[in-house]
Amino acid sequence: MIELKDVSKSYDAKTKALESLNLHLREGEIVVLKGVSGSGKSTILSLIAGLSKPTSGEIIVDGKKISKLPDHFAAAYRRDNIGIVFQKYNLIPTLSVYENVLLPLFPLNLAKEEMDKKAHSVLKKFSIEHKSDMLVKNLSGGEQQRVAIARANINHPKIILADEPTANLDEKLSLEFIDILRELKEKQRTIIVATHDPLFFDLDFIDRVITVAHGKVI
Amino acid sequence: MSSINFYLLEYAYNYIKRHKNKNIFIVLIFTLLVALLASLFFITASLQKELQERIAYTPDIVIQNYRAGMPAAITQKELDRVLEIDGISSGNLRVEGDYEFLKAKRRFHLLGVDPFEPSSDPFIAKLVDENEINATEMLVSKEVLQTMQKAYYSDFFNFVLEDGKLLKLSIKKSFDPKRRYDLHNLILLDKDTLRKIFSYKADEGSDIALYVANKNELDFLASKIRLMLPNAKVISKNDLKLKYKSLFNYDDGVFLSLFVITIFTFFIIIYDKANGLSSQEKREIGILKAIGWRVEDVLQAKFYEAALIALFSFVLGYLVAFVYVFYLKAPLLGKIFADESVLDIANFRLDITMDLSYTLLIFLLSVPLYIAATLIPSWRVATMDADEVMR
Amino acid sequence: MFLSPEIITLSILNALFLIFGTIAFFNALKIVRFYDKDATTQAQYILEKKSYLSATIIKFIFYVKIPLFIFFIYTLDDLSNILPGAMCAAGVVNATVYGTPLLFLKIINLYIFAFWIELHKEDMENETQPYVKEKFWLYIFAYLFLVAEIVIESVMFGSMDVNSVVDCCGKIFATTSQSYLALLLGAPKTLLLTLFYGLYGIMIVAFVLKNRYLYALSNLFFIALSLITLIAFFGTYIYEQPSHHCPFCLLQSDYHYVGYVLYIMLFLGTFMGILPALLPSKKEKQLFYFKSSLLFNSLYTLLVSLYPLAYYFKNGVWL
Repeated sequence: MIELKDVSKSYDAKTKALESLNLHLREGEIVVLKGVSGSGKSTILSLIAGLSKPTSGEIIVDGKKISKLPDHFAAAYRRDNIGIVFQKYNLIPTLSVYENVLLPLFPLNLAKEEMDKKAHSVLKKFSIEHKSDMLVKNLSGGEQQRVAIARANINHPKIILADEPTANLDEKLSLEFIDILRELKEKQRTIIVATHDPLFFDLDFIDRVITVAHGKVI
Repeated sequence: MSSINFYLLEYAYNYIKRHKNKNIFIVLIFTLLVALLASLFFITASLQKELQERIAYTPDIVIQNYRAGMPAAITQKELDRVLEIDGISSGNLRVEGDYEFLKAKRRFHLLGVDPFEPSSDPFIAKLVDENEINATEMLVSKEVLQTMQKAYYSDFFNFVLEDGKLLKLSIKKSFDPKRRYDLHNLILLDKDTLRKIFSYKADEGSDIALYVANKNELDFLASKIRLMLPNAKVISKNDLKLKYKSLFNYDDGVFLSLFVITIFTFFIIIYDKANGLSSQEKREIGILKAIGWRVEDVLQAKFYEAALIALFSFVLGYLVAFVYVFYLKAPLLGKIFADESVLDIANFRLDITMDLSYTLLIFLLSVPLYIAATLIPSWRVATMDADEVMR
Repeated sequence: MFLSPEIITLSILNALFLIFGTIAFFNALKIVRFYDKDATTQAQYILEKKSYLSATIIKFIFYVKIPLFIFFIYTLDDLSNILPGAMCAAGVVNATVYGTPLLFLKIINLYIFAFWIELHKEDMENETQPYVKEKFWLYIFAYLFLVAEIVIESVMFGSMDVNSVVDCCGKIFATTSQSYLALLLGAPKTLLLTLFYGLYGIMIVAFVLKNRYLYALSNLFFIALSLITLIAFFGTYIYEQPSHHCPFCLLQSDYHYVGYVLYIMLFLGTFMGILPALLPSKKEKQLFYFKSSLLFNSLYTLLVSLYPLAYYFKNGVWL
């Protein structure tokens, strides 16, 4: 369902982040992209998310050629189909949990009831509803993690992308995260985790571990 | 135009609060600009309004004689000539002028009165009517009395004549000009006595005041008199009205360049401030785009941000100017205007004068400029490559 | 040349439009030449970003132009107090040979910019972005008009002379002079009114048939007929004077600023009436334009007809 066809990406004349990369992912697969920083795994995620465009090649998601989409359509595609969990959570500390989780939907200007419904459903699912009015800066690391994941799921996206999600976490929180991933896999989400954390390389529910180095799949 | 997105509005508001320091600076500058502009307009509008009010008390036509390009005395002969013109209903030879009281460094305005020639100014006419002044008496305003008393004159005053001799006049009564600030330095006395003080001959006066029957003929009659008396300056009420209307037009190159420089500086400062984004701010925008905000959404949020700051500063600046001009009576700035038009600012009430068109004008001069200054920086931010967030 | 604060404000904002409009202009030139949405080069991405900048600038110019236009009319009206002989904006407009063309140019520019924004909206709603080049060709064209407008406006204000007497609207709109205007105004009222209401009728028919070309055409003629009948007939009832034909005096407080209301409704109605013919878009959007246009045009027709009717009821006779 996700296909990268002969994709190359260079940021300038010298640096080639990806070189003629080919990748195919089925729906519901959970895949780990293994590689050191600079290997190009983050670039792959960014391309699938439609955040950047390849220098050559095509990216097709669910039959749609997203590499050709103009920016505002790419953003809409991203909003509706992709949930991203960042390394540093990237929440807005001075907004509440409720507001942070709804942040992707702000531009849609939906009715309050609808926004409420979506927010509470996703907060409940990730067991953070009881803190919905608290400011994010007052939460613990684990709680912030759950808010970040909740935000990524607000629109029930088909694809979840996680970029070095455990790089800043201790072992306990890392394992909690892996548990959440397991739950998400059961919900038929397609999940890609880009990481060099060895905790991920030997998990039972991971379908594939793909090694990326120097912009190529090995 | 789509309806307001309150979520983005709140985000913008929160964003402003998160970057207090930078935004307080911007608000300060903007408020200053608006306050400056608004003060300018408030002062000129108020001055103009009051000037227009005062015109109501002036005669229809005033003739002043000039000799060697300087004001000179005018005589009964000219008055007689002018009174013969068809359309002039009445007129008189006036004796009035300024007297420098050197000791107190004050200038009194002396007006010669004649009970048989009532003044066109109702306040003065009433005073003359109620108080008979003989040749050795005078009526002074409250303020003049205070000045004299400070110089130890209590019920009389010595005027110094041209030849050095003294003329003593007793203060019959003092009056309170109240809201007539232009009468604060007024002294009323007998016409002939005043002639002595100003060294006018018996048939001379300072100017001629004329009244016309048909106001529509005013300009025509004024031009007729100009032909008749080529050495004289003939000012009709209409001329005054027009003059006061365009009194504060900014033809003066200095004023205009100051204006333009201020606007330009404002623009540059805002542009610079808006352009300087910390890496944290850049990161935040990157996150927004990563979670699905389009360029237009970021632009809309940035627009709300600019609008909030602009509107807030506009209202604040307006209030500041209001208090400054109408309650504090415009210290410093007011003097500049007064000097420009040879008016004494202390002589003005500075009543509250508000014009909707001025509000729109100041709005158009400040808010679009601010938004324009933030256009390119906002765009730069909104179109930033967001994939850096992933790295 | 005199510099009232109003003229300074107009000049500063014009300068702003010129600066930003020119930035957008150079961007438009590049886009029209090099834009290739299938290209994946860095240059193309930069062009896409520039496209956003230009769109933002054009929107900014348009949305500021609207209050500025109203302010411009107000300034003309205000200047009538300084220019000898002028009693309302009409006298000021006629004080120089630039006045009338400038007014028309400003109105045309409002229509053009409004259309650009609608075209842009339509373009952005389509994944294939079909109108990118057309959009910017249109802007290049609009930019030239914008520059013309600004130049003419500056020259007009610069050449105004406080000392020369100008005509007042009574003379300009008199039906006894030799001008084309007088010919139009002197035409039989029944003819003009039949055309006016007839066009309104055609508009309704076109609306029912949802024929956008007929509707647009009727709207185009409606603009002309509205203005003519306003000056020749309806205006006299607003002023309650058979010889007062001025279209500007309506904007003054004596007549409760009804002029602003009428002109705004006319602009909105006819703009939205012409739009569907020029811009193919989704059914709902077209319907929205049709309905809004008819609404505003109807309100205009109603309001303008009320005056003579009210006069007749009050006085029992026509003027």
